[in-house]
Amino acid sequence: MSLKSSSKVAPRKSASARASTPGQRESEVAMQMKDVEAMYGSFRAVNRVSLDVMSRSVTAFIGPSGCGKTTLLRTLNRMHETTPNASVKGTIEVNGINLYGENVDPVRVRRSIGMVFQKPNPFPAMSIEGNVSSGLRLAGETNKANVAEIVEQSLRRAALWDEVKDKLKEPGLSLSGGQQQRLCIARAIAVEPEIVLMDEPCSALDPLATLKIEELIRDLKDRFTIIIVTHNMQQAARVSDTTAFFNMGDDKGGYLVETGPTAKIFTKPSNKMTEDYIEGRFG
Amino acid sequence: MKSKSGLKSADVSFSLDLTERDVNRRRVNRVMTRVIQLSALLAVIPLIGIVLVVASNGLPGLSLEFLTNSPTDQPRGILNAIQGSLIMTFVALLASAPIGIGGGIYLHEYASERTMRVGELVIDVMLGVPSILAGLFAYFALVPIIGHSGWAAAISLTVLMIPVVMRTTQEVLRLVPVGLREASLALGVPRWKTTIFITCRTAISGILTGIVLAISRGLGETAPLLLTSQSSNDTVLDLGSRMNSMTVTIFTWAGSPDPQFVTQAWTTALVLFTMALVLNVLVRFKTINSRVL
Repeated sequence: MSLKSSSKVAPRKSASARASTPGQRESEVAMQMKDVEAMYGSFRAVNRVSLDVMSRSVTAFIGPSGCGKTTLLRTLNRMHETTPNASVKGTIEVNGINLYGENVDPVRVRRSIGMVFQKPNPFPAMSIEGNVSSGLRLAGETNKANVAEIVEQSLRRAALWDEVKDKLKEPGLSLSGGQQQRLCIARAIAVEPEIVLMDEPCSALDPLATLKIEELIRDLKDRFTIIIVTHNMQQAARVSDTTAFFNMGDDKGGYLVETGPTAKIFTKPSNKMTEDYIEGRFG
Repeated sequence: MKSKSGLKSADVSFSLDLTERDVNRRRVNRVMTRVIQLSALLAVIPLIGIVLVVASNGLPGLSLEFLTNSPTDQPRGILNAIQGSLIMTFVALLASAPIGIGGGIYLHEYASERTMRVGELVIDVMLGVPSILAGLFAYFALVPIIGHSGWAAAISLTVLMIPVVMRTTQEVLRLVPVGLREASLALGVPRWKTTIFITCRTAISGILTGIVLAISRGLGETAPLLLTSQSSNDTVLDLGSRMNSMTVTIFTWAGSPDPQFVTQAWTTALVLFTMALVLNVLVRFKTINSRVL
């Protein structure tokens, strides 16, 4: 993955070639956060977080409201800095490259690290297939056959193909909430990111749609590294391999309390605060 | 018997029977609904009135020759006026649309809070500029240099049309949800592409409406044209000299003692009005399906 501003977009391989590309392997570290801090002006929303995320796994960020989980997530794909006066300290390394290094282009970072938002936000002015292919087309991909192939593959991977294959030209907004969110997931994975960030992707959806997406996340982790912020502890327990628990400090900023394998965090956490949160004594 | 909280059981009785308060509330509802309906009707009545008056006075003069002849032919026609109005307005549009849309995008997407407030104030002032002032500006600044011409007229129209496009563009861009911009940025789409292909594309029907509003304004202005392009009896397609226009024609003929001229002024008004109407309706039809805002 090349993130330098001066490098051009690599030529796209066809879907079949990509399927056999090894990519990252499990037990490799996909992302290393070292002393990451996120600020809004002078207010520190996230206090020094150091955390490793393993590749092709699902990592959940849990914790009470306002403890900086979403803010931290948004630093991982350099979206935090799009807010006026927002800044980040520390380093975040992917494949050995510091995302915040000099000469690193944020646009390239965001192409390699995708994001799915809390409220489904398909582009209203585009059809379903237009939505899925939007990332590709806006990156300059013009080969129609290639695009169509990628659209189908992404929709299949997002478990949406069967439901929409006959109405690809319909507007994106004509789908139900759960379908729209899966459309947004298809759109995000169509550009083949290495890591997919999900900010409470199910909180605006009904329980059935939520379960479908959780199933989807379990399937997606075969190809992508997923980091998910969730308010729903049961969801974190169901879906993730690693869980990181955050809490709000006295300075109203968030900090990382404990991180570990999901099973351990939910049964025998090392930190008393984690245990209290899991047991529902606060948050 | 008193409950723990001190309330008598009768105080907390629950009943769905209509009380006097309900009856009054419904009456007020009905009255207010009627008042609002009446206001809407009153607002539409002048428009209908204008349409009826213009149509009834102007239709007698309408004929094919009227639309294809010049003022010096027999019978009189307004072809050169139609041509002049269209040419000058669309030339003005060629400048106003990019500047207006670009300015609107800048104010919404790139300007700081303070710049945006100052910019909005400036646009509001420009929107309020009486058209005669725009005409005076062109008359004193441009006419000495380029003479009474279609160019001078087009420039004064530009001054009047830019704020319309800019204001409308900025307002519709505001209506595009922030989440769309975020979704696009998160896909790794550069900011300028996000602005053009996502934000503007979503707001396109609003932007086109702004352009149509500007065209309507341009076609309908009289004062600046009186000072700049004035009028002409010849077919003039070149902006370098005086050009005829529908609005100046109406102005000139309406004051004539000859009743035929007066009728033909009405007819010209009818043609102008119809043009603006058709343009508006066309844009609405074309964008109705992609109307996302």
